[in-house]
This record gives sequence, C-alpha cells and structure tokens, in this order.
Amino acid sequence: MTRAKIELGDVTPHNIKQLKKLNTVVFPVSYNDKFYKDVLEAGELAKLAYYNDIVVGAVCCRIDTSDNSRRLYIMTLGCLYPYRRLGIGTLMVEHVLKYVEQDGNFDSIFLHVQVNNEGAIDFYKKFGFEIVETKEHYYKRIEPADAHVLQKTIREPQAATPLVNGSVPHAKTNGHD
Amino acid sequence: MPPSNSLPPKENALFKRILRCYEHKQYKNGLKFAKQILSNPKFAEHGETLAMKGLTLNCLGRKEEAYDYVRRGLRNDLKSPVCWHVYGLLQRSDKKYDEAIKCYRNALKWEKENIQILRDLSLLQIQMRDLEGYKDTRYQLFMLRPTQRASWIGFAMSYHLLGDYEMANSILDAFRTNQMKGPYDYEHSELLLYQNMVLAESGQYERALQHLQKFQSQILDKLSVKETSGEYYLKLKRFKEAEGVYEDLLKRNPENVMYYHKLIEAKQLSDADEKVAFFDVYKKEFPKAIAPRRLQLTEAQAQPVFERLVDQYLRQGLHKGVPPLFVDLRSLYADQSKAETIEKLILQYIENLSKSCTFSSEPDEGKQPASALLWAYYYAAQHFDYKKDTDRALHYIDAAIEHTPTLIELFIVKGRIYKHAGDPVLAYKWLEEAQSMDTADRYVNSKCARYMLRAGHVKRAEEMCAKFTREGVPATENLNEMQCMWFQTEAAATYQRLQQWGEALKKAHEVDRHFSEIMEDQFDFHSYCMRKMTLRSYVGLLRLEDVLRSHPFYFRCARVAIQVYLRLYTQPLQDIPQTTEPDTG
Repeated sequence: MTRAKIELGDVTPHNIKQLKKLNTVVFPVSYNDKFYKDVLEAGELAKLAYYNDIVVGAVCCRIDTSDNSRRLYIMTLGCLYPYRRLGIGTLMVEHVLKYVEQDGNFDSIFLHVQVNNEGAIDFYKKFGFEIVETKEHYYKRIEPADAHVLQKTIREPQAATPLVNGSVPHAKTNGHD
Repeated sequence: MPPSNSLPPKENALFKRILRCYEHKQYKNGLKFAKQILSNPKFAEHGETLAMKGLTLNCLGRKEEAYDYVRRGLRNDLKSPVCWHVYGLLQRSDKKYDEAIKCYRNALKWEKENIQILRDLSLLQIQMRDLEGYKDTRYQLFMLRPTQRASWIGFAMSYHLLGDYEMANSILDAFRTNQMKGPYDYEHSELLLYQNMVLAESGQYERALQHLQKFQSQILDKLSVKETSGEYYLKLKRFKEAEGVYEDLLKRNPENVMYYHKLIEAKQLSDADEKVAFFDVYKKEFPKAIAPRRLQLTEAQAQPVFERLVDQYLRQGLHKGVPPLFVDLRSLYADQSKAETIEKLILQYIENLSKSCTFSSEPDEGKQPASALLWAYYYAAQHFDYKKDTDRALHYIDAAIEHTPTLIELFIVKGRIYKHAGDPVLAYKWLEEAQSMDTADRYVNSKCARYMLRAGHVKRAEEMCAKFTREGVPATENLNEMQCMWFQTEAAATYQRLQQWGEALKKAHEVDRHFSEIMEDQFDFHSYCMRKMTLRSYVGLLRLEDVLRSHPFYFRCARVAIQVYLRLYTQPLQDIPQTTEPDTG
C-alpha cells in the first residue's frame, strides 16, 4: 500500500475559508479579518498543508522589524488533531526555516505559546527554539493566559558583521569571516 | 446562367459583376451595379437583377426589402431559374426549408442540369430527411459529374440511408475499384470502414468480416478493425476467434469494461463462480486495473465470496481516499444482501479505525493513513442516506466533519442528505458552505446553484453562476448563449413551482431553441463530411439528430411548457396583477 502524500500549497482568495475553518478548530483564539487579509499578501509565509490532498494544517508568519532587528514571527502553525505526529508540523517548520535561510537577512524566528502547551514546546525545541521570555496575561480570553516566547536565533544581534552586497554569513561568526 | 430575359451586352456584363460581388461578399458594390442596370428605364423591371438586388440586401440584414425585391423580380420573370434559385436561397437563409425546396424544384424546371441548384437542393433534402428526393437528386448529380468523388459518395450514401445496402455497397465497390487511386491515406481508410459499416448493417456479417480482413492492411484505424472483427466473430458464433481478439484488446486497454463483457460472451461463461474465477485471472494479469476488480463484485453471488472481494475493494478505496467510492459501488445495492454485507464491513472498519487505525483487529495489519477513518465515515453517511436512514446518515457525516472540517465533499453530502430528507432550504445552505470553501471549483459552484433552484431561489442561483460566466454580461444571458441546459431546465421547473408562468415558459422556449439550433447546425456537416470522408461519424450524426428531442433536457422542458399552457388555458390569467415595478413590457 502506498505512503501518504504530504505537501504544501498556497493560500488564495478561493480557499481561504479552509484556512479559517482549520484555525477555528485548531486554536483556542480567533483571528480577525485583518489577519486573513494580510495572509493573502504573505506569499511563501502562509501555506496550507495537504495530507493525501486534504487540507489538514497551515502555517502563517509575518516579518517583525521592531526593536532594531529583523525577525520572523510565526503567528500560527497548526494541524488537525487526527493528523498530528505524521510529520506535517515538521514539514511546515522546515519550510519556514528554509525561507529564513534563503532570505539570509533574519536575526531570529520567534512565536508565542501557551505556557501549559508542553507538546508544542517540545516540538519547537527539536528545531533549536528556546524559551527566552514569559509574558503574563498575554492571552485575553483563555486560561492559562501566560505565554512563553520561543525563539531560535539565526545570527547574534551584537555581532556587527559588515554587510557585503547583502550577503550575510550564517549563524555565529564571532566577528570573523 | 443564360438569362431567359436577356440583357444587352453592356448590362449583361454589369449583371455578371453583381453575381461576382455576391460570391465575394462585396454587397455594397453589388448594389451599385444593380442600380446602374435598374436606373435605365428600359430595364427598371428586369427580373433577375431585381432578384439579385434582393438577395444582396438580405445579406446586409435588410430582410423585408429583400423579400420585396426578390418577389417582384420573380413576378417579372417566372421562367427564370435564377429568380427561383434566388428565392430559394432567401427562404433557406430564413430556415424555411420546405419552401426553399419548392423554389429549387421550380428553378430546375427551367434549367434541369444546373449543378449548383442540384447540390443546394440535395442539402435541403437530406436536412429535411426527404430521402427519396435526396436519392433522385444525388442520382442526377452522379450522372452529370461521374468523375467527382462527392458524386459517388453521395449517391451511395443516399441508398444506404434508404436501407438499400446492396446498391450502396455496389456503388462503393465500383468507386473503389475505378476511381480510388493513389495513396492509402486516411480518407481511403475511412471509406473502407464506411463500406464495412454498410455491409454490417445489411446483416451479412460473414461478408463484412471477409471485407474487413481483405482490406485491413489499408485501414489506419487499427482499433476499429479489432473491435469490429471481434463483434463479427461473436455474431457468427466463432467464439475461439472472438476470444483471441478480445484478449488482445484487453492488453491494449485493461480498463475497458465492454471488452470483459464480450470476452465472457466469447468464453460462454454463465455460472457466477466461473465469472469470478475469470476475473481472478485478469486481476492477476493487470494488477493495477480497476475494471476487473469492480466487475467481479457485480458477478460474485455467494455471500462469503462477495464479502471477501468487496472487503479488499473497500479497503483499497478507503486507504487511498477515493471520493466516489460509494457512487462506484451504488449499483451493487440493487442486491440487498450485498448492501448488508457492505454495511457490516463499513461499520467494522469504523470501529477498528477509531480504536487502532486499522481496518481489522488482526495484529499483523499495518497502520492505515489518518484519512482512512474520514473516508469510512464519508462512505457510511452516503450508505445510510441511500437507505433513507437520515439520522444515521447525519450522524456519520457529522462525525466526518468533526474529524476533518476542511474537506469540501463532506458538506456536499450533508446538503444531499437534507435534500433527500425533503428539506431543500437546509440542503442549499450546506452547499453554499461547501462552495465558499473553494470558490474556484466549478463543480461545487454548479451544484450549489442547482440546489438553490430546487429551493426556489432563482436570483441567488443566477448570482452563484455569475461567478463563472463571462463578465459584463448578465449571467442568464451568458448561460443561454452557452446552451447551459441543466440550468435552464432546472430554472423552468423552479418558475413553474413558483407559479411564475411567463418566466417558466421563457426558459422552456430557450431550451427548445437550443434543440432547434442543434438541428440547424447539422446543415454544415452535409457538405463538410462528404468532403472530409468522415462518413461513419456523419451517419452517426444524422441518426443522433433524428432522435435529438428524446433527450431528457428537452423532455423535461416540454413537460413544463405543456403543463403551463394547459394551466393557462383552463385558468386564464385574470387582470394584470398590480406590480410595484413599472411595466417595461
């Protein structure tokens, strides 16, 4: 018997309702119209995950440029319950990592996760994310309301590596080439 | 054309130029030359010039004037074949074929051997299915132009259509031996296959088979040769040979259902077990083919055998995620015990899949994909919907939606369950939901519009269709232009239910017009197919057009129209109802 087929696809105005349905059942918080409007402009930063041609997961990111750094923020990354532990989340994270690597100009990737969501925390740790901060009362309508900030550093911010024609060395370089 | 009412050389030259202008579609110039003749008081009433002026005007869309001039011309020169021919052409362009035929006949009275008129007449005769008349005309054309290919073909065809196969075959034989020279190309090949068709239709399969074998090296359509020879062997009860042919054909295409049926006929299998064993062989030979596996299910009779086979079939479908699995198996439900077996299996799968992600409770079965349970729910919902067990159908479709709320098919089935339960409004609401999940899917779009019509929402259905019709034009207009008859028949029925008699009739007549158009469109093929030698398809077309109006679309619309007219006759509309909108008439 054949193996299941897992692949990513674009979010378009035609299928965005599927993303909404998915987010509604996967996440305890709801997202406003602006979220979905921005997602349509996000290109590779918003993807649907297909399992045997069925939409079962999605990832939505945006670029955050606050605090003098350029960071990728994972707004949502989720998968329908029956389709977890099948490599779909991994495929989406890998897509994000690849995007960041190809762009070459990100300082880090970060996201928020509810403090009791151990499954998610373990999942992200596998990819080199670490808890860097805990925000109290981050969520308004759900319990627990606190959130960890998980972050994966791509390059050290203080290492003022000179930019040469936009090409940027990967990871830590200790200030040397 | 020697004019019966002749003009002097100068005017005659002008007249010829009118004809040339007509042939080259230079209508404005044609009118100029006509004026030059007619402005001379001596020829102001010259019949043929008046007629030609009318014909030219017709091409410019000035129909009324056209009829005036053509009739005046004819009155002035009743013995002119030109005037009659022109009158015929005018009527033909107006689709008055019977009248046109009369005109051509009159024209031929004054000029018996005019090839152009004979050709035009023959086209009208075949269009009107005046087969006797067609035969006579084709005979005359044949006698006048015995060296032309079209003369022979048309002549033979006229006999074929009348059922005189011997004569048709002799003409084709003579043509083939005397006239067909040169390469064995596609046209030659088609001619041979056409001749073979004539022989087969005469019921002489032995002769047809010999003909096919004799010429098979010259026939390019190898598949046709194989399929028809298989057919002949069966008719002649030469089963061994038929067997060989269909075995070869199956190697070409192991998904062709017909080949399996014919092969069973050739092997003279009648016992259910024999047929099951037969399909076992082909399942092994073509492990990827679906047809033998599916056909085997139809033949299997003994319950344990059927259960074993359908178990494999269902598992494979659910594993892979085949959305139309239920539709594929539905015809098996005619046998109640088969339906029961399937129900038992599906419920077992659901139980096991939700517990252990496997179909069975056997320990050595590998894990099934996460979507298998979803498809099992989906199947069960359709299964119970078919059995009119609405509660259980809804139970399973809701379980499926709970499992995977992003799968559009689930919402379509949910809508269908409500439709079958007699709630067209909830039905279309669920279809609307399905549609909103993929607005680029034309199938769901059409389904949704159809459900809206069933619920009586014509306007909403039109807006739904508008997402896929041409922009800038009202949806109804574009749907009509595209002969979108599923919509129009459904809309006619909806208006009838809403007692909007006028609208219902309008839709019914739109559909009627499509059918007339399809009949009209036939006209071009009478000459085209003869030229291109696609004679088998041409005969197929003629036979299709003969029964065209037996199509369900036509039948449904005709019934709506008849019922509405009867209603309006027995209960005529009283006063014009007070409408708030101004009457735009």
